[in-house]
Amino acid sequence: MIKRVGVAGFDRRALLKVGAAAGLAQVAAPFVISARGEAPIKIGVANPLTGTYAAPGKNESIGMQLAVDQLNAKNGILGRQIELLAEDSTSGDAGAAVQKTRKLIERDNVDFLVGNVNSALAQAMAQVSNEKGVLHIVPGGHTDPITGTDCKWNVFRVCNTTRMEANAVSDLLFKTYGKKWHFITPDYAFGHTLYQGCEADLKKLGGTVTGNELTPLGTTDFSAYLIKARAANPDVLVVLVQGNDMVNCLKQISQFGIDKQIHVAGTQQELEPVEAMPPEARVGVWMFEWYWKQAAGTPGLDQFIAETRKRSGGKVPTARTWFGYVTIHAYALACEKAKTIEAKAAAKALADLELPPEIKLQPNKVYFRGGDHQLMLSAFLGELLQTGDGDPENLFKVNSIVAGDSIAPSVADTGCKMNMPA
Amino acid sequence: MLQLIFFNVTNGLIIGAFYALMAIGLSLILNLSGVINFAHGGFLVIGGYLAYALTPRLGFWGALIVAPFLTALIGFAVERLLIRRLYGRDPLYSLLLTFGLAFIIEDGTRQIWGANGLPFSVPAALTSPLSYQFFFITGYRMFMVAMVAVVVALLFVLLRYTRIGVRIRAGTLDLETVAALGVNVRALRSLNFAVGIFLAGLAGVLAAGQIGLEPTMGDALLMPSFIAIIVGGVGSLTGTLLGGLLIGVASGLTAVIFPSASEAVIYVMMAIVLLVRPRGLLGEEGMLT
Repeated sequence: MIKRVGVAGFDRRALLKVGAAAGLAQVAAPFVISARGEAPIKIGVANPLTGTYAAPGKNESIGMQLAVDQLNAKNGILGRQIELLAEDSTSGDAGAAVQKTRKLIERDNVDFLVGNVNSALAQAMAQVSNEKGVLHIVPGGHTDPITGTDCKWNVFRVCNTTRMEANAVSDLLFKTYGKKWHFITPDYAFGHTLYQGCEADLKKLGGTVTGNELTPLGTTDFSAYLIKARAANPDVLVVLVQGNDMVNCLKQISQFGIDKQIHVAGTQQELEPVEAMPPEARVGVWMFEWYWKQAAGTPGLDQFIAETRKRSGGKVPTARTWFGYVTIHAYALACEKAKTIEAKAAAKALADLELPPEIKLQPNKVYFRGGDHQLMLSAFLGELLQTGDGDPENLFKVNSIVAGDSIAPSVADTGCKMNMPA
Repeated sequence: MLQLIFFNVTNGLIIGAFYALMAIGLSLILNLSGVINFAHGGFLVIGGYLAYALTPRLGFWGALIVAPFLTALIGFAVERLLIRRLYGRDPLYSLLLTFGLAFIIEDGTRQIWGANGLPFSVPAALTSPLSYQFFFITGYRMFMVAMVAVVVALLFVLLRYTRIGVRIRAGTLDLETVAALGVNVRALRSLNFAVGIFLAGLAGVLAAGQIGLEPTMGDALLMPSFIAIIVGGVGSLTGTLLGGLLIGVASGLTAVIFPSASEAVIYVMMAIVLLVRPRGLLGEEGMLT
């Protein structure tokens, strides 16, 4: 081009244009070079940024951004930089989540999809990603069907299934606390499958259910349910509600002094609600899906905590941070293993992928199970600490760390019939 | 079973008293200014968070007094800067404005205090239950009911026996005539709005002691408050008080018999009242038409 202008004779205007273009090219040099290289890999995230699940959504984002920063500092994935595109899925509007997912896939052409905290939204997103053939990891939606009856070749999950959570805790509760259980269950997909799991385990152990209080999501006052629960006189009050509902429920349990009369326990507990409770409400035996305070010398753990603090206003990582972190690293590892980011090949590489020590950040073997695409992550069993054990940030005393495959039902029992495309 | 019902009626009255506190604030604003304040839950959240921020310096009791006043001050500013521009227009405008404000407040608190909830404790003296038998009547809940009773009593005295109160009541019935008689209606409305927001702020501090303090905590409390107004009757503060107590008891009782309907029952009540007696139990004919 430049040569032709010269040959065509010196027109002052053309010369100025060329000069300006050459000058601009100098200034814009770094961009030109990156444009000449391969385009970045786009990761689309549709997760709650507003509403009830904003806090877990935010922490998953912190974990994802940390993993992206680490990978980009080390040449990205297959030599390509990674770009994170985040959309607000809302906390409970499946329509909005689907719309954002379509936008990410159709307009932004993302190579990989992440979401959602809410089980129902995760299921809705999985329909879209499957239809479009985009690899999709669900970092933190627990309901069973995602890697059970509704499992799909392109969909993987990092967090536990509700069945794994029930299995992790039931035995311990039965042996230490007694055999009459009363449940406080959130009235939606997550709660229903979690209750079914606990009930099945309890029946197998020979215990009885004295009642199951189904509470609407977003319940602020649990007193009517607690009055009923106490009247039934159970050995254990099993609290299955999550998030803000968990905060409200435990706060009221402790104000009513119920924890001093009946054992209070539950399955899944998270650091987000525990931090939001006053000390007196932090009671009971629970399961965490990942916990930051572990044996000294766990590979990569100190660095993970330090890097998280930099991005979270000084706070320690939660299981949610770890979910986000694992999601991105698992995708990167699968692509490197498959030597391509093409969805089918990457999905094949992700099935049976074992996480290396500096990613899994815990003692047991952690891997994706090929049969249902469920991550076999450990369960951290223990008790809540009211004011921390000499460390105000340490609010959970881990008694044991149980390997994921020892609490997961077999692939056949999940009801998953995986259909990998050729 | 009888005991369970008695427990839940008592418990429902306690919850209802709280709904009433919020609903009366809403009702005040609606009656005089014709504004359906969708941001009322947001102001409740502001009250709670301000109390949280003030507690380390002033203690719970100090925060309980100061936080509602600060919330009222913010409410006053909002009325002066935004709401007042929409008086006299279609109510839809102020509804949209307060709806937007609710979002702004929610995200604003999230920006300032973080998305995660914050631990808010009440004084230990108030947390213990009254007795083993009546475990659900804690010192704190008794205190809440007492606060509501005192505030409502004060409000009724204010409205009945003071010059401002008489003007607010008169304005509720016929604002134009009140204005024609030389009363500064603009100032009256600002003050009235601030009083309504004060009640929201107070409700926020009280709520934070019992439920989790987080940016969306007002959402779940807003709808029952609107329903309390409709059931009790638009234009009548006594009606609003009654409406709040009624829906509290109704949802408490339903929780014994058919738990999954405990939320829906208040909407059913509203529907029945609207069908049988559209002006509400104690409402005056022709209000807000």
